[in-house]
Amino acid sequence: MTMVATKRLRSGILLLASAATMAFVATFAVLTLVNSGSGPAPERQLDGAAPARTTDGQIKQLQAQVREAPKQAGLWAELGETYLQKVRETGDASFYTRADGVLQRALALEPQGLEGLVGAGTLALARHDFSGGLRYGLAAHRVAPRLARPLGVIVDAQVELGRYGDAARTLQRMVDLQPDLASYARISYFRELHGDLGGALYAMRLAVSAGGGAPENVAYVQTLLGNLLFERGSLRAARAAYEQAIARFPNYVPAGAGLAKVDAADGRFESAIRRLRNAVARLPLPEYVVALGETEQAAGRATDARRDLALVGAEEKLLRASGVNTDVDLALFEANHGSPARAVTLARRAWAQAPSVRSADALGWALTRSGHPAAGLRWAKRALRLGSVDPTFLYHAGMTAQAAGRTSLARAWLRKSVANNPRFSPLYAPRAQAALR
Amino acid sequence: MKRAILVVVVALALLVPATAGAHPLGNFSVNHLVTVSVSSDRVDLRYTLDQAEIPTFQERDLPRNQVLAHKQAEVKRALHLTVNGHAVPLVQGLGKLSAPPGQGGLPLTRVELPLSAAVHNPRSVRVDDETFPDRVGWKAVVAEPGKGTAVRSTAPSGDPTDGLRHYPQDMLSSPLAERTATLTVTPGTGTLTAPRAVGGSTTTDRSGDGFAGVFADAAAGKGALLLLILTAFAWGAVHALSPGHGKTMVAAYLVGTRGTAKHALGLGATVTITHTIGVFALGLVALLLAQFILPEQLYPWLSLVSALLVLGIGASVLRSRLRARKRGHGHHHHQHHHHEHEAPSKKTILALGASAGLLPCPSALVVLLAALASHQIPLGIGLILVFSLGLAATLTCLGLLVVYAQRLSARLRVPGRITALVPVLSSLGIVAIGVVMTAKAVPQLA
Repeated sequence: MTMVATKRLRSGILLLASAATMAFVATFAVLTLVNSGSGPAPERQLDGAAPARTTDGQIKQLQAQVREAPKQAGLWAELGETYLQKVRETGDASFYTRADGVLQRALALEPQGLEGLVGAGTLALARHDFSGGLRYGLAAHRVAPRLARPLGVIVDAQVELGRYGDAARTLQRMVDLQPDLASYARISYFRELHGDLGGALYAMRLAVSAGGGAPENVAYVQTLLGNLLFERGSLRAARAAYEQAIARFPNYVPAGAGLAKVDAADGRFESAIRRLRNAVARLPLPEYVVALGETEQAAGRATDARRDLALVGAEEKLLRASGVNTDVDLALFEANHGSPARAVTLARRAWAQAPSVRSADALGWALTRSGHPAAGLRWAKRALRLGSVDPTFLYHAGMTAQAAGRTSLARAWLRKSVANNPRFSPLYAPRAQAALR
Repeated sequence: MKRAILVVVVALALLVPATAGAHPLGNFSVNHLVTVSVSSDRVDLRYTLDQAEIPTFQERDLPRNQVLAHKQAEVKRALHLTVNGHAVPLVQGLGKLSAPPGQGGLPLTRVELPLSAAVHNPRSVRVDDETFPDRVGWKAVVAEPGKGTAVRSTAPSGDPTDGLRHYPQDMLSSPLAERTATLTVTPGTGTLTAPRAVGGSTTTDRSGDGFAGVFADAAAGKGALLLLILTAFAWGAVHALSPGHGKTMVAAYLVGTRGTAKHALGLGATVTITHTIGVFALGLVALLLAQFILPEQLYPWLSLVSALLVLGIGASVLRSRLRARKRGHGHHHHQHHHHEHEAPSKKTILALGASAGLLPCPSALVVLLAALASHQIPLGIGLILVFSLGLAATLTCLGLLVVYAQRLSARLRVPGRITALVPVLSSLGIVAIGVVMTAKAVPQLA
């Protein structure tokens, strides 16, 4: 009896066990189906599902690819360059650190990898390590002599290092190999440095129409086009160029700062200040902070100006704490708004590292402001040796010559500084006009 | 100002954190984190802000309380809570502002602000953090378990930044830019299912009771180990008293049979082993099949299996006892004999123990996953075993109590007719429990 009951129980349990197993299998099947369908699944979209056309999408995709194939130097390098593009778009510094790590990994895997070398060169230039950038560019060029991209890194480094003859030859080879946005934009800058505004405008228009790359790249050359138009005094055309840049890349900070410049030239200080505040809030580069302070000064808001300009001093402290002390913009800031003696120190360092006309201009102006106009004049002439018509260079040179007692030279330079755009700066254009009277 | 920038060169030297002292997300970043936990009657949020040197410097002229007021106003303006499709106002608690030292002798700004909203029966909760638009920085929404709810979250459950104090530097992942979270809420025991956090490893978080906390303490080296083991045992014992662990069923079965202390102990051992195995099996499912199946989706099915098992046991025991009774009537008239017909079989004890231990306690599962994540596997397994032992101890005690109570009642010479009915009634009881369990388990499947 007990045996029978146990037997029955045993078969019952067996039945139940098999039923349970079946239930489990069915559960898996059903849930797998349910989960693959719709419903608020807690997992976020898979990496590959993000649209790859945006920079963020590209980054996600490359991150996933690198994880899949961590031995592929090319993928690491591509990710590094995409990180650099992200910095260009947002100014998010943490991507610099990431780009650095990723590019180093690419070069460790493949020391002569083209993409790794180009990326490392670009990063070095962004960090103002121009000789390092040149070394990487040349190494990349040796790997791929028929490619334009390494030449771009080389040109940038040569221009910043003041080797204009070399830069011209490299640039010619680059544009012969690949006439595109990158080469046209560099030609434009090169012509501008030599005082050929018309030629620079023509080349920049070619760069804009060549297009390509990320939307930010086109917005950037449109902004540069706006800057050239502003320099030539075509305020309305400049405004249109900046607005096109913003239409292509919403909230684009450099273009917003450009619009502020046009507003200030039109006498609309309130709007200019508002735009610059917005720019500074999102990307507080010394360049924009100084523009804000100087516009406030021009608008008669001395207290606001002093307050905002103090931020540049804080930024200098941060830079010093990071071991950076060569920035030309900071040298000019010290010369105009801070300690001219410190400006001289900063500008000398900048010249030692990057003997360009820009460094020469900053050093000359720093010397003049610290009471050495005769020495300043020598550097001002060096800054203008290519024939540049940059109004700020000319204004500095003119004021320097005046302080050095060279009145006719001073008048010639000052007149030239306001010839193209009589309102090139809300603060310095009126001073140039006053000095001419 | 003259630009020297060509297309690929951006002179952002300021942004390059060249030394370890620099803010890892840049000197002008504005980083914020929202932690959200949904309980059955309230939603709690915690807003944390870490503002780097430059924006802090820009506010240097303002007194501290005004800076805090500005941040509170920004949170009020741009942090939104939506419950069941309706916007719900958030009540701000006492905000805290501090100024940790940053780079170059400049301070940072740190704000911690608790917020809450009273809600009724939340089913879907959405958090939108639109504070500080367009600012560079780490932005994250993180979910935490609440009380009396089972939450599925689109936001991760772990915060790898330790409240924005340090940031992951993994070069293969971007800083988080998460400004929204959607949480699906059902009544539950304080569980949370959320995706893996970047740089973190949490998948499921603390459940209703304190067992997970015991593991956290043990892993952190807090408290004496012996004391923690005793606590884990106690949690297991207490847990057995919560509904759904077959106490009544165990009692009903033993009442109907001539169970001995040996049987009660065997039952306890089975429960311990099944429960431990169940936890590991479910843990494996959670780890290996997490893409296809969530542990909490598995629970209703496990409940059903367990219920069906009980139903089956009840049915077969009832049938065999009815037969035994019939035959007992036919051949023997001695009132004491029917007990000898049926001592509890090993198989039934096993099935009973299995049905009681099959449903792993969620907190035991959490401990297992936490142990795996923190590489404290022996500790985790040990604690789970102790916890299961506690669980079994309660059931065994109950069984022993029933066994001895039966012997006592046998001495009291209860009228034979009633005693003869007990086995049948008790097996009917098991069937009833099985029916109730099944009835409870089925709606959960939907």
